[in-house]
Formats: sequence, C-alpha cells, structure tokens
Amino acid sequence: MQLAMFRRVAAGGAVAALTFAGVGAATMSPAYAASSKVSVVHGIPDTPVDVYVNGEKTLDNFKPGDVAGPLTLPEGEYDIALTKPGEAIDKAILKVDDAAVPGGANISLAAHLSADGKPLITPFVNDVSKVGAGKARLIVRHTAAAPAVDVRAGGKPVFENLTNPKEAKADVAAGTVKADVVLAGTDTVAIGPADLNLKEGTATIVYAIGSADGKNLDLVAQTIGGLHSAPGGVPSGTGGQAGTGVDTWWYVLAGAGVLLLVGGGARAATARAGRR
Amino acid sequence: MTVRHRGALAAMAAGATALTLAGVVACGSEAAEDVGGDEVAALASATTTPTTMPAASASGSVPVNAGTLPAGSEIVPPVKLSIPPIRVTASVNPVGVNERTDEFEVPPSVDQVGWYRYGPGLEADSGSVVIAGHVDSAEQGKGAFFRLRELDRGDTLTATGSDGAERRYRVVAREEYRKSKIPLDRYFARDGRPRLTLITCGGPFDAKTRNYRDNIVVTAVPA
Repeated sequence: MQLAMFRRVAAGGAVAALTFAGVGAATMSPAYAASSKVSVVHGIPDTPVDVYVNGEKTLDNFKPGDVAGPLTLPEGEYDIALTKPGEAIDKAILKVDDAAVPGGANISLAAHLSADGKPLITPFVNDVSKVGAGKARLIVRHTAAAPAVDVRAGGKPVFENLTNPKEAKADVAAGTVKADVVLAGTDTVAIGPADLNLKEGTATIVYAIGSADGKNLDLVAQTIGGLHSAPGGVPSGTGGQAGTGVDTWWYVLAGAGVLLLVGGGARAATARAGRR
Repeated sequence: MTVRHRGALAAMAAGATALTLAGVVACGSEAAEDVGGDEVAALASATTTPTTMPAASASGSVPVNAGTLPAGSEIVPPVKLSIPPIRVTASVNPVGVNERTDEFEVPPSVDQVGWYRYGPGLEADSGSVVIAGHVDSAEQGKGAFFRLRELDRGDTLTATGSDGAERRYRVVAREEYRKSKIPLDRYFARDGRPRLTLITCGGPFDAKTRNYRDNIVVTAVPA
C-alpha cells in the first residue's frame, strides 16, 4: 500500500535540479516574504572547506557529510566560494558568482560531485508545503559521481532511474522504512540498506553523495520540520446520552402539558359553573 | 365532585407534570459556558525556545549538523490518565489518523482514550499533547469522557507516562465548538507553551446521523 503510493508519486515527482539562475523563475515569491531560508549541504568526500558568502567567511572548516543552516538570506544575488580550510578566497576551489536567491523560498545548496566526478554547487528548492496528517515527505537527491540509480524501500523500487543532479519525492505514511540505492534496473546495491525514520510532519531529504569509482558513496540527510497538518476532525460519540440540545420530543411534551393544563382548567371551570 | 371535574383536575395534574419534566430536561441539557478561551489562544501563540535549528544571519555563526540519517527521537507517551473531579481513570493508547476519513482515530473501546502519537509526548517542552476519548457510544454506553464538560478551571488531573512518572496538570479552559468551526490547528500545534488538550464530543445530538454537533475541548497546563 505504502509502496504503491511511493511509486505513483515518484513517476511524476522527479524534479529537474535547477541551475542557479533558474531558481528565481521556479519559485513564486510572495511580496511580503523578502528573505529565504538557505541551507548548505557538503557532499564532496574528503574535502573540508571554508565557505564564503559575498567575500565573508560564513562556514569554517565545513566537513563532508555536514549540513549547515538554515541561514536567513534576503532576496538578492550572492557570490559563493569554497576554499580549502584557511586558504585565501582567491584560491577558491569552487566559485559561483551572482547566484540568485529568490524571496520566500527554502533552498538547499549542495556542494557535490557531478556524474563524472567534478565538484559543483547545485541549488535545490525544498518543497515545504504541508503534508497531510500522518504523513511524511521523502525527497531523494542524486548528487553522487555515479550512474542512474533506483531507490528501493523494503526491496521494492520506489524511485526509478534517478540521475545526477535530479530529485524524486513522495509523501508517504510516517514511520521507518528500510531503504537502499541500487544501480538502475539492477539488484546491485550501491548504498545501504539503511533505516530511514520518516517523522510525521517533516520532510526528510536524503542526498546520495561521493563517488562510485572512489568507493565512497554515502548518504547525507537534512530534515525540515513543522510541515504537519491537524487531523480532519475528532469523532468521539455516537450514543447521544450527553446531548445538550433539547430534543424535539421534550418540546412536544411541554406543549401537551400546556394543552392539558388549559383544557383541564377550562373543563373544571365549566363544571363548577354548571353546578352553580 | 363530579366525574367530569375529577377528569379535568387529572388532566391539569398530568399537564403540570409534563411541563415540569420538560423544563427540568431543558435546564439539565444547558451547555456549560466556555471558560478560558483567551488563555488557550495565549498558550498557543506564546513563543518558546525553538527546538529546531535557529535561523542565523549570514554574518553570525551558522548552526552545523552532521547529516546523519534521522533516528527516532525519545518520546514519552502517556499511558494512564486520571481525572479525580469527574472520577475518570483510563488507559491511554497511542493512536493516529483514520486512513479513510483523515480523522483522529479515537479508540473504539469507550473506556479507553487515545493519545495523538504524531504530536508531542509528555516530555515535550512545547506544543499540545492531545488525548481524545468517547463521550459515549450507541453500543457501549457512557465513555471515559462522558463528564469531561463538567471540568472547570482549577481542577487538576494526572497523566502517567511510559516512564512511570506522573505529571500533574491544572485545567485552564473548557470550550465548546461546532465541529465545523473548531480551530484544530491550535489544539494539534507542536509549538507554543506545553499543554495537555482533552477532546470529546458534545452539544446537540443528531439521532439520525448519530453524531454530536460539537466538540468539547479542555485545556490544562503543567501544575
């Protein structure tokens, strides 16, 4: 049941990763929300870095597998640079200039390897819409130097043929699933299996990182909370013994009482008058 | 005294009885007035220290977490609820949402009540712990929360957690809402001050659909 739903959503749910310039177009930003929440995910193995935003060191010795943020960044354009720890910004190993951060969005910047093993930064817009009561959102992002993969839960493929740097997502029943990553269309396990605790009302974002050639494929997770909804209602009584509204029959009884009193009174009066 | 006269008096007596009875029922069925609604709104909107990562500015220090896969967190479910003023002692079952109706899955057995397992447990330092129970059922009669609407401000109750610890609460509000109007987001909130929310049915009963029109909501805070 859960797996069926996984697959149904997964078919249409693979969202192309956006180029930096594309982020602005993809997210409609309400006028009142001028800033965005931005997280940074480190998915380049063996390469701790310092992160500079607009020339200012924002993260010191940021380690592979770590997730930083969220930062609240006002809408605008940013220069982002990664250096080896302690090195000057002009020796940056990775740089993105004029990256557009739209207003009112929730964004993850993933520093990771391309399919052919080159370091790059890919921005993802996180789906932070509410999930239904009892549900959790699972988002999987292929950010590893590896070919297309399938993501399986309980041994069954739920997201198929996912390629770098794309994502697939689904809202599923909250709870724990045993997940692994296999080469697309095969049973060759690339990562896992791992237990994923999908907490109700959260989005769990799992990044496949590392390199197949380097034999250091791994998973990094980011969780976004506060997406829960209340249940539709609380039905908690079918007996009627505690009903507070006055039932119609009591009105009928009261009416009958009035009639009897008036009628009886009238008869008594006429009887008395007759005797006189 | 004529027969006719006697009949008239009997009719008057029957009429008086019927009127009195209907009057007593009407008075007894009066819904209790809401108390403490403002307090509930204040509890819900109060800001507490966020349990999630705080947002940081670009220049300030940025929180960094190891991106390990999420593990289950330590939650203390309530297992027993005791409300001495209305003589309630009930087992508490962890429940979720009915898949078909999307509604709170109140335990079918009316002498048991259900804790919303997706929301906070007793350990939480913010948000609303929700326990709902039947007021009654057509088949089983009176439920654990039959007298919930009799609770008043200042009444105390005790919830026992799976860790064995008893936690005392003090009632601060009792409200009645039409089911179509109840602000469920407020009662199922995971933020705001820590509080215990008890919910059952009440108000006029529709005998045809076998449904109560309203929900009774009692809010209590740690005593």
